[in-house]
Amino acid sequence: MVKIILLVLLSEAITVIGQILFKKSTNSIGTYDLKAGGDRIRFLSKILTQPSLWSGILVMSIGLVIWLLAIAQGDLSLVFPMGSLQYILILFLAHKFLGEKIDRMKLIGTLLVMAGIVLMSVS
Amino acid sequence: MKSSHLTLKIFCLIVLNDLIDTVAQVLMKKGLVHTGIDSVNLSNVVEFAVKNASSPFLWLGIFVFALNFFVWIVILYKVDLSIAMPVGSFCYIFVPVCAMLFLHESISPVRWAGIVCIILGIHFVSQSKKSTEPERMSNG
Repeated sequence: MVKIILLVLLSEAITVIGQILFKKSTNSIGTYDLKAGGDRIRFLSKILTQPSLWSGILVMSIGLVIWLLAIAQGDLSLVFPMGSLQYILILFLAHKFLGEKIDRMKLIGTLLVMAGIVLMSVS
Repeated sequence: MKSSHLTLKIFCLIVLNDLIDTVAQVLMKKGLVHTGIDSVNLSNVVEFAVKNASSPFLWLGIFVFALNFFVWIVILYKVDLSIAMPVGSFCYIFVPVCAMLFLHESISPVRWAGIVCIILGIHFVSQSKKSTEPERMSNG
């Protein structure tokens, strides 16, 4: 039981780190007009050569394997409500590593979403 | 121009990302059912992978999944991660509400409370002000 909880927490922390890396890659590529065909190609070739994007994909793959290990032996009614934890992790880690601001609206909204997910999965 | 607040267009893109993800999951699940292996463990994981490698639905699912990754990257390019993530929780209410509308399944009061919480939460998050720092905005 404790082992499964730790596995779920680990996989969520890793998934969140992967998302931070994805966002880091889109933050670091400058400005493109995605309505223009030529810029779309430039956007794609630029983003696909970002090391942070590929690190994110690698990290996400590890997170997925740990997640599969967790749900293979865990009770889904325990695992799914715990999925809501990653929203609060994202809020604080995006603030720390990406400089995204936490204002009152974002904090209240994130907590409401988490509460909603828990309510959806316990019933 | 790099805005970081949520517009209707980006909201629709996030919902689309959720929907495509659901389609990919269903395709992959459909691709996995024909192997005849009940439980996967270390001794049969290779056999399991080899048997599944010829499943067209699995590959179609993986293809859709990979394509959807680009939709997510475009979303992240346009909006803060700490906004895109909670708005993505829209998928949690999409399936039960569709099941109610089209399959006439009932939704328990606790689940309704959950649906209301998620909708309110997305509303609050979308009211969050532009959060990219001013100096970065002027670069973009």
